[in-house]
Amino acid sequence: MRRPWRTTAVAVPLLALLALAGCSVVSQPDPAGWDQSAQQALDDASGEVGTARLALRAAADDRTWSSYTTVLVSEAEEAAGTAEEDLSRLQVPPERTDAAATALDLLGQAAEATRQVRALAVAGRYDDAELADELARLGTALDQEALRAAARAERS
Amino acid sequence: MKRYLGVLLGVLTAIGGFVDIGDLVTDAQVGARFGWSMTWVVLLGVGGICVFAEMAGRIAAVSHRATFDLVRERLGPRVGMLNLVGSILVTLLTFIAEIGGVALALQLVSSVNHVLVVPFVAAAVWIVLWRAKFSSIENVLGLLGLSLIGFAVALWQLGPDWNDVLHQLAPTSNPGGESWTTYAYFAVALFGAAMTPYEVFFFSSGGVEERWTRKDIGVMRANVFIGFPLGGILALAIAGCAAEVFLPHGISVETLGQVGLPVALALGKIGLAVVVLGFFAATFGAACETGLSVGYSLAQYFGFQWGKYVRPRDAAGFHVIILLATALGAGVLLTGVDPIMVTEMSVVFSAIALPLTYLPILVVANDPDYLGEHRNGRLANVLGVFYLGIVLVVSLAAIPLMIVTSMGQH
Repeated sequence: MRRPWRTTAVAVPLLALLALAGCSVVSQPDPAGWDQSAQQALDDASGEVGTARLALRAAADDRTWSSYTTVLVSEAEEAAGTAEEDLSRLQVPPERTDAAATALDLLGQAAEATRQVRALAVAGRYDDAELADELARLGTALDQEALRAAARAERS
Repeated sequence: MKRYLGVLLGVLTAIGGFVDIGDLVTDAQVGARFGWSMTWVVLLGVGGICVFAEMAGRIAAVSHRATFDLVRERLGPRVGMLNLVGSILVTLLTFIAEIGGVALALQLVSSVNHVLVVPFVAAAVWIVLWRAKFSSIENVLGLLGLSLIGFAVALWQLGPDWNDVLHQLAPTSNPGGESWTTYAYFAVALFGAAMTPYEVFFFSSGGVEERWTRKDIGVMRANVFIGFPLGGILALAIAGCAAEVFLPHGISVETLGQVGLPVALALGKIGLAVVVLGFFAATFGAACETGLSVGYSLAQYFGFQWGKYVRPRDAAGFHVIILLATALGAGVLLTGVDPIMVTEMSVVFSAIALPLTYLPILVVANDPDYLGEHRNGRLANVLGVFYLGIVLVVSLAAIPLMIVTSMGQH
């Protein structure tokens, strides 16, 4: 009969090895895992685009002061950039190549749009109607893509 | 007349001092993601803090001694130490979050990065705790905290559809369509924010600082049973503003600037300035309260002189603890850690530590040796045991929910 300590001596390193196997330098999620991460990133970016749009509207109506607007939109810019970065660092499963291209393109647009809002805020120019429309369009596109990612995750 | 003015001042400062960075962030996050569907959690949390603050205040008024002082004596050094460790870690985390909150509020006015502001905020907090009178700290910052009433005015101005609000009040409405585990995680965080342990330590030690006697029990109860629920209405107004502005756009709240944005949209610059003043007062006031609570807890447990009612040279150890805690708080924030993340962690860890705080209070409040005829009656015990059951469930659920939802991410 084997003694308990021997079982422990074998089991503990084996479990540790298995645990370490999941801690690769590059995260390689399965398709469903990638869809969930994409949905999260798209939702986050949509929220930041929405915040930038509301901040721009409030500033254009003279309802905030410049430092408040600048802080608000620079934080939105940073968070939109983080959402893009987080998703781009994941290894894309082969089945999701097209979806990844669409999602990353939208996230890149979100990061760029919030950067433009920040630039306008710092310059004290808040009445760019074209950018406001672009933010609204982008928000809708991000929401729709997030819904598609959620539906794919549910099917997988 | 003087007595009525005293009651009014106490109630007003209790309202103004009710909200801190944990409430500001958590209420707005919950409103933006769950609409009004967690109103019941705020009401439950306010009920809980009223029940235990009343016990802690009564203990201070009758025994002239504060919570930790009695917990160690009544339950022994081991239980006292467990109580101390659990509470002090959460209070320290909350203290760091509050200093960060002050820096974030100043960043909104100056656009200077909050990390650069942190050393000045920490120095200001320490100087106030060292030099200012206890009553000045409590009254000035508590009254300035009333500026947060701007959220209630903004909510009225935003004109919510009250029929829709009524429908959302049902806990099962979950209008944001979030998963139920995420719902449960935020319910735990919201409950933890409402029942933060430092509130009872500060309340009970404050009673000793202000030399409450049995005659003050009535005034203390008025502060608790009128002031705290009205403070809870402020918390609901913050959540309501976020629900009106952010929920329809699917926007999550992650920054203090976002918390104030609905007020800007509803009331413009003046309204926004008033609530940003409220952010400053609420966080600075809570930083002072948590800083003092760290000093109170350690000094009371180890039995050395404490309090603002004695000269600093007579309570040197107490002031050294506050100085070290302030330096530690500033040091942590200077690493660049996000104060909002510290806040989110502090409210969840507060939920975890709740039983360690509230069980000893319930035990001491039932002890006739300390409280005589003022010990808990049947109603206080029924409510106390009911809330103890809830805090136990909340405490056990907090860590699994934190892991499963990745701190409310999904």
